[in-house]
Amino acid sequence: MAATMVSSAGALLAMLNETHPQLKQHALYNLNKFVDQFWPEISTSVPLIESLYEDEEFDQHQRQLAALVVSKVFCYLGDLNDSLSYALGADSLFDVSEDSDYVHTLLAKAIDEYASLKSKAIESNAEEANVDPRLEAIVERMLDKCIMDGKYQQAMGIAIECRRLDKLEEAITRSDNIHGTLSYCINVSHAFVNRREYRREVLRLLVNVYQKLPSPDYLSICQCLMFLDEPEGVASILEKLLRSGNKDDALLAFQIAFDLVENEHQAFLLNVRDRLSVPKSQSSESVQPKPSDPEPTQNENSTASEDVPMTEGSSVSTATVQETDPNEAIYAERLTKIRGILSGETSIQLTLQFLYSHNKSDLLILKTIKQSVEMRNSVCHSATIYANAIMHAGTTVDTFLRENLDWLSRATNWAKFSATAGLGVIHRGHLQQGRSLMRPYLPQGGSGGGGSPYSEGGALYALGLIHANHGEGIKQFLRDSLRSTNVEVIQHGACLGLGLAALGTADEDIYDDIKSALYTDSAVAGEAAGISMGLLMVGTASEKASEMLTYAHETQHEKIIRGLALGIALTVYGREEEADTLIEQMTRDQDPILRYGGMYALALAYRGTANNKAIRQLLHFAVSDVSDDVRRTAVLALGFVLYSEPEQTPRIVSLLSESYNPHVRYGAALAVGISCAGTGLSEAISLLEPLTSDVVDFVRQGALIAMAMVMVQMNEASDSRVGTFRRQLEKIILDKHEDTMSKMGAILASGILDAGGRNVTIRLLSKTKHDKVTAVVGLAVFSQFWYWYPLIYFISLSFSPTAFIGLNYDLKVPKFEFISNAKPSLFEYPKPTTVPTTTSAVKLPTAVLSTSAKAKARAKKEAEQKANAEKAAAAAESSSAAANTGKDKSSNEKDGDSMQVDSQPEKKAEPEPSFEILTNPARVVPAQEKFIKFMEDSRYAPVKLAPSGFVLLRDLQPTEPEVLSLTDALSSTVSPAGGSAAGQQGSASAMAVDEEPQPPQPFEYTS
Amino acid sequence: MDPQLTEVSQLFERFKAACVREDVDTGSNLLSKLKVMLTGFRSLPPLFEDTPNAIHELTLARDIYEHAVLLSVKIGDQDAFERDFFQLKPYYTDASGRLPPSSQEYMILGLNLLRLLVQNRIAEFHTELELLSPTALENPCIKHAVELEQSFMEGAYNRVLSAKQTVPYKTYDYFMDLLAKTVRDEIAGCSEKAYDYLSISDARQTLLFSSDDELLQYINEEHPEWEIKNGVVIFQKAKESAPCKEIPSLQLINQTLSYARELERIV
Repeated sequence: MAATMVSSAGALLAMLNETHPQLKQHALYNLNKFVDQFWPEISTSVPLIESLYEDEEFDQHQRQLAALVVSKVFCYLGDLNDSLSYALGADSLFDVSEDSDYVHTLLAKAIDEYASLKSKAIESNAEEANVDPRLEAIVERMLDKCIMDGKYQQAMGIAIECRRLDKLEEAITRSDNIHGTLSYCINVSHAFVNRREYRREVLRLLVNVYQKLPSPDYLSICQCLMFLDEPEGVASILEKLLRSGNKDDALLAFQIAFDLVENEHQAFLLNVRDRLSVPKSQSSESVQPKPSDPEPTQNENSTASEDVPMTEGSSVSTATVQETDPNEAIYAERLTKIRGILSGETSIQLTLQFLYSHNKSDLLILKTIKQSVEMRNSVCHSATIYANAIMHAGTTVDTFLRENLDWLSRATNWAKFSATAGLGVIHRGHLQQGRSLMRPYLPQGGSGGGGSPYSEGGALYALGLIHANHGEGIKQFLRDSLRSTNVEVIQHGACLGLGLAALGTADEDIYDDIKSALYTDSAVAGEAAGISMGLLMVGTASEKASEMLTYAHETQHEKIIRGLALGIALTVYGREEEADTLIEQMTRDQDPILRYGGMYALALAYRGTANNKAIRQLLHFAVSDVSDDVRRTAVLALGFVLYSEPEQTPRIVSLLSESYNPHVRYGAALAVGISCAGTGLSEAISLLEPLTSDVVDFVRQGALIAMAMVMVQMNEASDSRVGTFRRQLEKIILDKHEDTMSKMGAILASGILDAGGRNVTIRLLSKTKHDKVTAVVGLAVFSQFWYWYPLIYFISLSFSPTAFIGLNYDLKVPKFEFISNAKPSLFEYPKPTTVPTTTSAVKLPTAVLSTSAKAKARAKKEAEQKANAEKAAAAAESSSAAANTGKDKSSNEKDGDSMQVDSQPEKKAEPEPSFEILTNPARVVPAQEKFIKFMEDSRYAPVKLAPSGFVLLRDLQPTEPEVLSLTDALSSTVSPAGGSAAGQQGSASAMAVDEEPQPPQPFEYTS
Repeated sequence: MDPQLTEVSQLFERFKAACVREDVDTGSNLLSKLKVMLTGFRSLPPLFEDTPNAIHELTLARDIYEHAVLLSVKIGDQDAFERDFFQLKPYYTDASGRLPPSSQEYMILGLNLLRLLVQNRIAEFHTELELLSPTALENPCIKHAVELEQSFMEGAYNRVLSAKQTVPYKTYDYFMDLLAKTVRDEIAGCSEKAYDYLSISDARQTLLFSSDDELLQYINEEHPEWEIKNGVVIFQKAKESAPCKEIPSLQLINQTLSYARELERIV
């Protein structure tokens, strides 16, 4: 018989009116059971049940039951506030573990309520919020339940949201996979904790938890400590690891140091470095970081000042080996290494070598541009120079310039300035030879009658670019140059150079020097000085900002105001709420240029936070300000705020990109370009595509540049629109009737698209999701090129090499292979452009590759191997087995990339392999990272399973001789050179080679 | 047999006896006890669990509630009537498939309809009516109530009052008396709206009173706001018409303008 069901709660409701309490109880009990079904009926009787709840004479349990029923009815009615307050009245009867809609809804409500109460209390600095203890109890019950059920992530999320650090700690320590939960928690704290202060608290807690663990994850601790700005902690951890007898610990320390360097926090790194204690026997003088530049005159001293303490330290340590105990000696040796890493030299040097050896830039593109650009159009002329600099950023390859000296000499005045400064971009990170390279252009001490002030100023700027964020050795020289001149062009260059070199160091003396340049009230020098002050004070939120603001109000020169406005914005970098007063002050200013600076301040203070308040403010200015400049910048600033969530940007600015106002459209294009840089995001490309054929020339310019930023390092295989875009660029450049502005955009875009020899991408976040200060600042200043073209070079600061560089204990690059589990064609370099005419350009692609017949012979051999390997794969062997044969046979290969290029014709014939073996150091583009696998039977094991960047490798067969790579690539540097600059370059690189031990010839082993 | 059930049956017998004796107090006490005991049975609504004695228990519970309803009519307690009727109702509606129909069902349903009419709850009256089957509508008890309602709605108040003579059961008398008063209230409400004043004799006639004293007493009790002056009943017309809501025109204009401005500004 089918179960009979009640059709109405009327009977129960009637029973509630009975006088006998037991009947009421019965009715309530049953109502509670049926409330999910009959709440519409019950809702009319809610007042009655409420009165039962308030009836003092009624039994406690019954009152709670009544409250529960009322709460449920209110919940169904959608009145969550009342529902919650009655649920609190129900106390223990409200069962958090019940799996019903009601409980879920109310729990969410309760937690929201609690979290908002808590955060409100903290924001208003009240000692202890008067939070309903019953509410707290519910939340705690929920948290306990989550922890009991093993839903640690949920518990952590709630705990963070509710600011219950005690519960957070409990959740972490009780979880089954503490390391996993901790790293999850770090991610959460970066992504979802909006208030900087609170985030610091969370991280501090995490550090504490980490330290209590039996096997702490030092990598993560140090990342947290860096965010907390506690160099002491990092230093002590590093020291502990370095002093350990285990070689692996030292490797870990190196890895930590590399990871820290990636975040580009110069001041912090220097601080850590200086805090590392000295080996006992070592004299204290070597610890003193470089007594200001001992070698200003003789350039034959090939080691730059940077290297002085390093070599000194090692010599001392070798000297002390005999007399002190071996532990100290080992420590001293390791200390010099880690100092080298922390100062950034090691990574810069390795990056430089990588970029040089893997340079794949296509000179033919430049040649086409050069030929199509009209002689007299100086904008396009210098745009070509910019494009060349960007294309070769950090590769030290200046072939194009050397081959076209005549053409280059057409650059006059400021164009000359940029042409000279372009050398700085090309040689970026060439710390040792930077000075000697630029020598012919630098101001000749005292005489003043040397070259033109434009090239001198440009050279100083170039020095800054070379030493960007690592300017220890060059600062003094730049200061002297700044002080000894009163030519405003040179001052301009010196200020920019100083700002770059001393980025974020907040050095008072330098500040004073720049300030005196500012107070000359010369428009050209003052603008650079303003920016430079900002660069110097990045993220310090110092009170210097108000000083700058006062001067900005006093001066008449728009250029100076603009420079200062950007400078002020830079000082509040990353300060989030702390910057609010300053932002308020700037955005309310009468002067549109200062409001414009306010937009930058918003962008930089809230960089990468996706903070809703900042976004709202920016959108407001984007549509309401009277000045086009401010509106444009406001939209552009969105890109900075959102770069941590690039998927969001196209959606947010999509409406703005259809604005009637071309400035807003321009801003929208750049915002997408900035935040989606290097991602190749499909939505971003779709949004930019129509803008590249906008009716207004400068919108086209912005869109082309932004598109190039988004597509950097992509090839046609991953998105066919890349090919279309390249063809479009070519068309614009070749078109005689195209506007200069968009032509310039197209030229710059070609440069950015192939930036850094096609081996760099634009990356604003490090792999640990920290913001990269230099990169963000670089892009911010770059976006200023609207007013001042030479600032285009700042984009080079945001380039980061897409490389996997494995290092052994000696910080050398050993032979090491790993797999990329994807079709090689997906991520390979774009094919070199074909020669349109039968000129001598054919040799160009090979010039940077391998040398000659030797390589061809090798190619033949490799083709056989390739076939073998493929046969092996076809024989259904496992991929690792296939990799094995590949490895054995190719152990004498020199360069994975040459193999890739040389064997292309063969690939067409056979189906493409589904994986690819990469050789250390290898180009690993961001999209490729998820396909990277390490081989299990390899000689080296990575300390950290990172798919790119610097990775320390543990040598599992330490007794066998190591085969090093990279160094051999540099040996081919000594290429025939022409022209005076080239001669310098050749000798410089020869010197660089001399430092490295000659690699053993790998051929002799196998063949 | 289940001892609990036996106990309930015995108690029920005593309750019936008390009812017959018209011993209201004992009856109420016993009823209260019975109700509490009934909560112990799991076969009853709203649980409707299938226990071995389910049919027996259900029938017994229905009997008890039917008696309770009748008792409440007897003592003239409308609230109790409502309570008991609602508790009885599931036995008629939800349990109808399992129990043989009760002889008193239609009488009680008719009573309930009358009660709603008396309390002037016309909407609920029709809701109840909709739930009844066509055959039930043919039943004299129901028919009686339906006809009364129709007359009541038409304003044929004399027909309502004369229907008192044709009640199907004696128990209906109680409500028929009350109905007269409901009719009078209705008339009073209408006259209030319709006239500014009425002479006492007219008022007496309209309100169906046999003497002026009764009228005066009624006015004193029910409508103290009415004024009697110079042989005329003056209805208070002071009830000022509810102030019509002011249209927030200024606010609306502002809002529209700001929308227009924003629209212009956005992209």
